[in-house]
Order: sequence, then C-alpha cells, then structure tokens
Amino acid sequence: MGATIRFLTKRTVQFAFGAAIAILLIVAGFAYRSIVISGENGRWVRHTYEVLENLQELRFALEAVSSSVRGYILTGEEAYLEPYHAAGLSLEQHATTVRELTTDNPVQQRNILVLEDVAVAKLERADEDINLRRTQGIEAASEAIRAGPGLHATVEYAAIVSQMQDEERRLLVLRIADAERSTNRLKITLILGTFLGLLITVAAGWSVQRDNSRRETAEEALREGERKYRMLVDGVKEYAILMLGPQGEIRSWNPGAERMTGCAWEEVAGQNFSRFFSADDVSLGRPQEILRKAAESGEYEEQGTRVRKDGTRYQIRTTFTASRDPAGNLRGFSVISRDLTENKESETKYRGLLEAAPDAMVVVNQSGEIVLLNVQAEKQFGYRRDELLGQKVTNIIPIGFAERLIADDLRSTEDASAQQIGTGIELIAERKDGSEFPIEIMLSPLQSAEGTLVTAAIRDISVRKKAAVVLLQKVDELKRSNEELGQFAYIASHDLQEPLRMVASYTQLLSRRYKGKLDADADEFIAFAVDGASRMQRLIQDLLAYSRVGTKGKELLETSSEDALQQALANLRGAIEESSAVVTHDPLPPVLADEMQLTQLFQNLVGNAIKYQNPGVPRVHVSAARNGGKQWDFTVKDNGLGIDPQYFERIFGMFQRLHKRDEFAGTGIGLAICKKIVERHGGHIWVESKPGQGSTFRFALAGSQARS
Amino acid sequence: MPLEVLLVEDSPGDVRLTQEAFRDAKTSINLHVATDGVAAMAFLRREGDHSQAPRPDFILLDLNLPKMDGREVLAHIKEDDELKTIPTIILTTSEAEADILKSYQLQANCYINKPVQLEAFDAIVKSVNSFWLTTAKLPPRANSG
Repeated sequence: MGATIRFLTKRTVQFAFGAAIAILLIVAGFAYRSIVISGENGRWVRHTYEVLENLQELRFALEAVSSSVRGYILTGEEAYLEPYHAAGLSLEQHATTVRELTTDNPVQQRNILVLEDVAVAKLERADEDINLRRTQGIEAASEAIRAGPGLHATVEYAAIVSQMQDEERRLLVLRIADAERSTNRLKITLILGTFLGLLITVAAGWSVQRDNSRRETAEEALREGERKYRMLVDGVKEYAILMLGPQGEIRSWNPGAERMTGCAWEEVAGQNFSRFFSADDVSLGRPQEILRKAAESGEYEEQGTRVRKDGTRYQIRTTFTASRDPAGNLRGFSVISRDLTENKESETKYRGLLEAAPDAMVVVNQSGEIVLLNVQAEKQFGYRRDELLGQKVTNIIPIGFAERLIADDLRSTEDASAQQIGTGIELIAERKDGSEFPIEIMLSPLQSAEGTLVTAAIRDISVRKKAAVVLLQKVDELKRSNEELGQFAYIASHDLQEPLRMVASYTQLLSRRYKGKLDADADEFIAFAVDGASRMQRLIQDLLAYSRVGTKGKELLETSSEDALQQALANLRGAIEESSAVVTHDPLPPVLADEMQLTQLFQNLVGNAIKYQNPGVPRVHVSAARNGGKQWDFTVKDNGLGIDPQYFERIFGMFQRLHKRDEFAGTGIGLAICKKIVERHGGHIWVESKPGQGSTFRFALAGSQARS
Repeated sequence: MPLEVLLVEDSPGDVRLTQEAFRDAKTSINLHVATDGVAAMAFLRREGDHSQAPRPDFILLDLNLPKMDGREVLAHIKEDDELKTIPTIILTTSEAEADILKSYQLQANCYINKPVQLEAFDAIVKSVNSFWLTTAKLPPRANSG
C-alpha cells in the first residue's frame, strides 16, 4: 500500500515537472517566434523610414537643381553650379536606393520609373539652360526658362514624390500596428507561460514535500521496527545472534554473543568470524567451507568447537542462513548459535534426577543405544553400568517392542511419543541371567545436544501383577460365594417352608380338633408349638423376601413412584383401616426403579409407621424433593414412637428389633429389606427421629431421565 | 350326590391335610388321590385298575410330582378332548413366575399357592367349594384365567 502511494506520488511529480518543462519550452518557442516576427516588423519599419528619407532627399535634390540653375543663370558664376552637380549625383543615387528598397512594391516601382523620367527630363532641361547662359547670355536663358516647362515639371515631380511618401507612410502605419500586436502577444504569452510554469512548479514542489514527509514517516516506522528487532536480539542471552558479511566479517553482535565469546562488540566489529575457530579448523578452511555451504543451500547447521577470548574451548551448534538481495546477490549471513557446553551442565543435573527416580531409567539415542541409565536400572536388569552403556536397548527390552519404540519414537518424535507418554505400556523384560519379568514402561522424548533421545522409565511390576491376579481371584471368589450365599438363602428358606408348613398345619389341626379334649398342659404345649411354627414361617418368609431383593430383582425402569405408593397402600389397606391411620402424600416423581421392590419399600416404611404408634390416630406423610443432583429424596414421616439416635444404624440390620415380641410383632427384617432395596437402586436410606416425636425415614433414588 | 375330586399330590401330609380341610368344610365329596402324574393320567383315562374310576368334577394338581410332573399332566389334560373341560386347579408351593405363566398358558383354570396357614387353606377350600361346586353348572370349557 505504502509502496503504491509512493510510486504514484513519484509518477505525479515526474509528470508535473515534465508538464512545467513542456510549458516553458512552448512559451520560449512562442517568445522566440514573436521576437523574430517583431524584428522583422522593425526591419520593415526601418525600411519604410529609409524609403521616406530617400524620397525626401530626391525632392531636395531636384529643388537644389532648380535653385542652382536659377542662381547661375542670374549670376553667371560657376560656383552656383556646384550644388547642381552634386544634386545630379544625389538624384541618381537616391533613385537607385528607392528602386532597390521598393522592389517588393509594384506601385512604388512604377512611381520611381516615372520620377526618374521626370528627373532626367529636368536635368536635361537644366543642362540646356546652363549652356544657353554660357553661350547666349542671361537674356536668352531667362527667356528659355520662362517659355520652358520648368515649373510644371517641378510640380509634377513633387506630386509623385508626395504620392510615394504617402504610400510609404501607409505601409509604416500598417507595419507599426503589426509590430505592436506582435509585442502584445509576446507579453501575454510570457506572462501566462510564466504563471503556468510557476503554478505547476509550486504544485510539484508541494507534492514532493508531502511525499518527503510521508517517506520520513515510513522511515521512522522502519527505524522503530529495527529498534524493536534490536531490542529482541539484544534481549536474547542464551543464543549468540550475529550478522556476517559475504566474506564472514562481523557486522552485528548481541549480548548473547558477547556472553558466549567473552568479546565485546567493539573488539569484534568488522573482524572475520574465523577468529573464534581453533587454529586447526582455520588451517583446514572450516570457516570458509561453512559459508560456502550456507551460501549454496541457503541454510547450514553446524556443530563444532570454538575458542573464547580467554582461550577456553566450547561446543556450539550454529545455524547459518544466507541473506540475499532481491537480485539474488549474497549480502551476508545471519548466524544463531547455542552453547552446548551449558547443556552438559544440565546433563549433570539430569543425571542427578535420574538417580533419584524410584524406577529404572534408561535413556536411548537415535541408534537405539543406551546412553544413560541409573542404579535402579542396573539392579533391575542385573547388568553393570558399563555392560549396558552403548549397547542396543534390545538387549533388555523385547526385540519387537524396542524396534517399534525406536522407529515410532525417533522417526517422528513429537506425534509418536506423545501418544505413549503418560500411558504406561506393559511388557516382559529380560534380565542378564535370562529370566523374564513384567515391566511397565513410560516413554518421553528428550531434546538434547545429541539430538532427540528417548527416556524410558521402567517399573518392575511383578509384585503388582501378582497382586492384581490375586485380587482378581479374590473378587471372583467373593462374587461366587456371594452368589452361592444368596442362592443358598433362597433355596434354604424355600425348602424349609415345605416341612414347616406341615408342622404348622398339623399343630393348627391338632389345636383345632383337640383343644379342651386333652389336659390343660397339652393345650398349652400345642399353643406354643403353633406359635413357634407361625413365627418360624414369618421369619422364613421374610428371609426369603430379603434374599429375593438380590436374586429376583428386576431391571430398573422408569417407574411412577406414586403408583408404587398407591399399590403399597392398597396392600396395607387392612392395617390402615384397623388403625384408622391417615396416610397422605405429595405428588411423587417418576424414578428409575424395580416397581415391585419400590412398592415393597413403601409398604414396609408406611407399615412400620402405622405399626410403631402411640394410642391415637397414626398420621403418615410421604413426599419427595430434589436433592440438588439428579436424585430425589423421599420422605416417610410419621407421628409415632420415634427412635433413640443410638439405634439409627442398628434398625437397618438383619433381625434387629427394638421392641419385645409381645409389644410389637415382627421379625426385624423389614428395614433390612428396605436398606437392601434402596442400595440395589444405587441410593441410601437413613432415619431422623427423636423418641416420642415421630420418625422420618428418608431415602434417595435416581430420577428417571424423562422428567429429571 | 357327592362331588368327585381328583387330587394329584405326592406329599402324604398335604393329601391328608386336604382331606381334613374338605372334611372340616363339611363338603360332600369323594376325594380320589393320585401320587404321581402317570397315576393321575391312568385315573383320568380309566386305565388298568382305574377302569371304574369316575370322571372328576375338578382336579387339584400339584406341579412338582414324581415320574410326570404337573405341567405335563396339565398339558395332557388340555390336549385331550374328553378331559380338557374338567376344571383344573394348580395347587403348589412354587411362587416362580415362570411356573405361573406356564400354567396359564396350559389353560389351567386357577392357580393357588399352597397356603401356610391352616385357616387360609380352609378358606381356599371353601371358596373353591362355593365357586366351582355350588354355582350354576360349569360351562363345558371354562375360561382360562
């Protein structure tokens, strides 16, 4: 954009100057032409004056002839004839002049011929008169003059001269007017031309001025950019950044270069960069070779030894980039160097870190050779350090993998290793003695002076592996025994029912048929037997119900908890009516549940709430509220006996009862079933209560996706 | 005229209990007992010793039986044009849903869990008595379910 503007401006200025010069040339040409015309006019004017002058002379000459002749005739003295002789010559001379001067004018040519004739006639007459005076005296001569045409001829002559003079004056007026017009034109042309020239010059001057100020702005920006670049380069301390001329002469220097070489800018300015090479390198022509390669390929990376000001040597890696002007001529080189000696120091630190690591650490180079390892690696693989250093990593890590490791990791360090970093790979490694052991290996790339290295952290996971296997076995066993136990509980309680039913039925039959027919003891014994059998039946039924929660549970589906509650209340209708309980509830949400189990849950909780009551009207309220997450907190609140906080946990256990059998019937399994149901649904159940102030049972269930 | 009832049940305790329950319900019945499925089918088809056996007015059938279980017996009854109109009540301790479903698929007329309380057994006998025996004559083919 800027370049375009500058370019346009340049064109405009060039055009302006061209126009100004053209106008000046035109004006000059015109002026020259005017001057030429004016000169011509002047000459013509002068010419006219000359003609007029000669005509006047002709008139004088003739008059002089007349008066001279008359004087001689009167006096007879020869002296009077001198003007006559002179006039004769003068006449001839001036007539000739006039004739020559008026060759361009036919009118005057005709007139001059007539005039000459008249003059010749007059002179001839005068000659006759003079001769007559000489020979015959004054009388005869006077008579001849009186008789002759003297006066008439003079008048005619004068008339012709006058006519010619008039013609010349007319021409003079015309020519003067011409000259004036030409002069005026010249003046106007000069004034206009000068003004136009000035105008264009001023415009061009202004344009140039503006262009110059713009150029100054651009140059200022350039200087600012260069200043920033300098700041940047000067800010770099870790790298030496310098510019070299085509032959390697140092042209710029940054603090990094100063730090690296120990030389200040003043010491190196203009010197050849080869001064930092060792004498050997210089004699081998290394510096020139480097520049040649850089110039050839545009960029050249070199690693080598340099010498500091104090004579110490250091290793650097340097990138030389050739710089060329738009025409392709080599302008010089930009050079960026990194001191590798500093890396060696960090390598020492790195080694310290390696030794501190709890795992075996092995560092591998691009050829797959081990370049570094720690004590743990020696121990794990059973080799000594010197046995491993420089060896192929395949000696200790399975061949296929090691090759993949090197191929993947070193071919394209970044992507290949990135996917392996952080994800441990489990492999089998081999010790020196040939024994194998499981390892987990984590790889990460490491950029170093020798190129990309791969750091492998190797962990012996034999113990973990064994533990994992044992753990899995245990989990399996536990799962199996749990299943067996559940199955056992179910089968046992189911099969126990059969003989128990016999006992219960027949003791009841006994009681029915023989009550009062045997003695009082028999009646009592039978009563205990009937009671025991009944209780055992209830226990088994509850146990069966409990084991069914786990073994016969159904898939959790979207279920209306309100419907489940209604079903529970229907099942409890007898108990509710008997106790005149008032059971209320809020609208309840859909949840993910096994409907049968949810019904049983409500049934147990509401049943308990009605059962464990003071005399009076049992009141139970069921509600549900969001608990902040995706779950719903259900609440079954009663106005019953309440529970001492110390039993809050215990009541959910199997066969746990807080009351004597003769106070409240029950097996102590209802809340255990509730707990198992809620837990199977991924929720939990708890109670809040104070003795005498009723209880609130709460449980959390996951809401269904549909409306949650 | 006493009702003819076939009870297919292998447990003597249950057989006796059923007998006692019917006795206590003061129902006038002739209770015939078959202790396995094969015997039940022989009775129904009047085979062998059972050539004089009456056609039962209804059958009480346990599901778990030796030799031929109740499900097979039920299937045979419902396949037999002669027998399929006899109301058949499944009487079992099994609460497995699959059993219940299967029984209904086999067109059992009723499915009753063996009650654990004698009173409950009495009540069932009474309701069976009144529903199946004292109401109007049963249709030749009772509705399933």
